[in-house]
Amino acid sequence: MTAVVEVPASFDDRSFEAFAAALAAQDGTGRVLVDAHATEWASPFGLVGLLCAGRALAQRGGGKPLLTVPADADVARYWAHTGFFEQAEPLFEIHGAVPKRQPAETTVLLEVTPVAVAGDVHRVVDRIQTRSAAILDAELGLDAKATIGFGMALSEACQNIVEHAGTGGWVAVHAYTWRRRLGRRVVVIAVGDAGVGFRHTLEATQARRYGDRWSDATALEAALIHGISKYRDPGRGQGLRGIRMWAERWKAKLSIRSGTGRIVRVPDWDEDVPLADGLPPFPGAQLQLVVPGTVREER
Amino acid sequence: MIAEIDVRAVLSRSMCEFHSDLVTRATGRAVRSGIEAHLQEHPDVTVVVLDFSEVRVLDCSCADEVVAQLLMRTAGGRDRAVYFVVRGLAEAHADQIDDVLRRHGLALVGEERGGGTRLLGFVTDLMRAVWEQVVRAGSARPEDLAAELAWPVDEMHRALAQLAERRLVIPAADRHYLPLTAA
Repeated sequence: MTAVVEVPASFDDRSFEAFAAALAAQDGTGRVLVDAHATEWASPFGLVGLLCAGRALAQRGGGKPLLTVPADADVARYWAHTGFFEQAEPLFEIHGAVPKRQPAETTVLLEVTPVAVAGDVHRVVDRIQTRSAAILDAELGLDAKATIGFGMALSEACQNIVEHAGTGGWVAVHAYTWRRRLGRRVVVIAVGDAGVGFRHTLEATQARRYGDRWSDATALEAALIHGISKYRDPGRGQGLRGIRMWAERWKAKLSIRSGTGRIVRVPDWDEDVPLADGLPPFPGAQLQLVVPGTVREER
Repeated sequence: MIAEIDVRAVLSRSMCEFHSDLVTRATGRAVRSGIEAHLQEHPDVTVVVLDFSEVRVLDCSCADEVVAQLLMRTAGGRDRAVYFVVRGLAEAHADQIDDVLRRHGLALVGEERGGGTRLLGFVTDLMRAVWEQVVRAGSARPEDLAAELAWPVDEMHRALAQLAERRLVIPAADRHYLPLTAA
């Protein structure tokens, strides 16, 4: 029997928990249909999250998961623009007409791109710096210094997959307008994998130290706030710290979800829970960085 | 002897591809190995100027591997003292290098693209003030600096000895200390 997991109509980091809960409710014995036919919009985080779910479902057995294409032609076309279906095709049995991919819109600063090895990180950073620096400057007011930092943050986020996930992942970068939430343009970076997650990575060196408090959430706290890595070298664990510092400087929102935990660096323009535990379990780690525009005027 | 090393050129050689972005730890290791190989081939080199002018993005991992690890691995060299200077830094690069060096308790002289020279990494306020004075003077003795800054001479001796030990100034003849700048 095929179980159905619905993709929320508006699929982003906020609605992700409903999706994760539905996915976690599957017992892993049967085939799963990931139903996106009614989905009207998905953020980069949503698209990367879908791919992570696809990989996790494929790994747990029960047959290749199915995925329905959004019924709305514009939505399906946008997903095609983002390169999502190319990455989804090996993971899902796709049902519905997949639109032919057209040249990417300027809002898609980086298509959904696989990341598995260091060379992938180079290509991702080069792509952003070469093709999208002008957009970051013109549309968001991010000057050269911020754009270099943007490349750094992107690089470090992707390296987390290469160095710690134990499997490949994906990255996507889009620019769009947050009318209701912020009233201005934002750039959203989403990086995710269905790998081992932060807790597993730090378990050997940190679990005893934290004792009963040890959890996915405290593992995230150790990594992001205290710069702790699985390596003892003080030079390690700087990547996430670097992203956090860059986010603080440019008033960006940084969130990382792993397992049942989620940690957020909450900027003054947002209201979110800084640290959450006991969320529905979801494999690997998913990072999102939301960079607000018009930074230039704010400095 | 002074060696100027174009870091972007080392990057391209190490990666066998044209790249301007110093990103990923693996890349950093490869670039550092390239620099170390150059130093082994040229045992007479004592001052190394690492030129970042053509580097676009520098991430934390690469800054750690290329700069911090290089300093640590050459710090214990008994046969020769090697002094490092980084030049051609964009402000964002300087920030990255400063941050990784602080984590290791290291420091070095950095020259930004605008031409300003400063110490990057961890140094005490006293050491920084003395270093700035040496740079301004061009060459200085502890006694002269102590008089200029109105500090005890023995304290100045200690500060200069620490700067020299960390290879941020060069001890010269007649108890003079020379600034280490990319110029």
